[in-house]
Amino acid sequence: MEPEKVLAELKGIMVERLKFDPRRMSELTCDTVLPKGMDGSLGLDSLDFIEMSIAIEERFGFVIDETQGLEPHFESLGALTEYITSRMDGR
Amino acid sequence: MARQVGRLAARHMPAERAAIRKTLTRLTGADGSRLEELTTGVFTDFAMCFSDLVSTNRQPASRLTSSLASVEGVEHLVPLTSGLISLTAHVGNWELAGRLLAGRTGRPTHVVVAEEEVRDVERWVRRNGEGVRFVTRSRATVSVELVAALRRGEVVGVQGDRALGTRGDALLPFFGRPAPFPLGPFLLASAVGVPLVPAFCLLDSDHRYAVRVAEPLTVTRGEETDAARAWVAILENVVRQRPTQWFNFFDIWEPFGP
Repeated sequence: MEPEKVLAELKGIMVERLKFDPRRMSELTCDTVLPKGMDGSLGLDSLDFIEMSIAIEERFGFVIDETQGLEPHFESLGALTEYITSRMDGR
Repeated sequence: MARQVGRLAARHMPAERAAIRKTLTRLTGADGSRLEELTTGVFTDFAMCFSDLVSTNRQPASRLTSSLASVEGVEHLVPLTSGLISLTAHVGNWELAGRLLAGRTGRPTHVVVAEEEVRDVERWVRRNGEGVRFVTRSRATVSVELVAALRRGEVVGVQGDRALGTRGDALLPFFGRPAPFPLGPFLLASAVGVPLVPAFCLLDSDHRYAVRVAEPLTVTRGEETDAARAWVAILENVVRQRPTQWFNFFDIWEPFGP
């Protein structure tokens, strides 16, 4: 799957599962930081990350079960897009 | 010696003592000298549990069983072959319970803890190893690691008695009055589809511990608050039996002020 398509799907998850205002989605870029407590972030909390993990598994058809190094993949939309793309490619 | 330290602490920590007195009044209905006795009992029991935690953490897990007087309900763990959430509270020796259960399940156990304010203390009471790994909940992304651990069939240990003051809390009846409790463990369980297993490690009069494992709670999507209510009822029953082992040194009903 192309990274642009993955990013669009992630924005869909933000709206449908995390209940973000759809109008905010046009502001989001690969540089958008996700976790709360970081400058300019979307402010996702631990409950949002649970919901997002499950939504990603359902939407992209793989299981998130890595033993280490997962958290950095969820720090920005760009990092998350790259992670999902690489999992989809089987890399 | 630990009991003497506890008695000293009771005299030198007036704010905590006042909070405990208020709590015990509601938990037990005691007053007068009985209330004073129970209040001091919280400090001495806490000192005992803390002392045991430090000393047992320096021993191999195989030697922890010498601290045990009894184990009830461990058969509930046998059919649980997938990931599970071990749910406990600041009652008795909760971290010892985590180590003991890690040994029983034979699976890696991730114990979620608040970031310890006193780092010098942390290294004494929280030692990674022998299947147990402590993770702090200071980062929001830590929940992704917990999802992954449960997917791998591992155990996540969490405490279900301290509200965070966020949208993830629910007001639930505790000793007849609403108190905030965290919904996070129940949302995690329902999202991943794993059971929650309430477990406690209580100090007995002979200075050994009784481990109690309750029947697993299953949570369906959208019914997390009902599961949390069932958990709080279990917790209330345990605290009613051992009020001096309820180690929350603040007003549990109004932890963030009135």
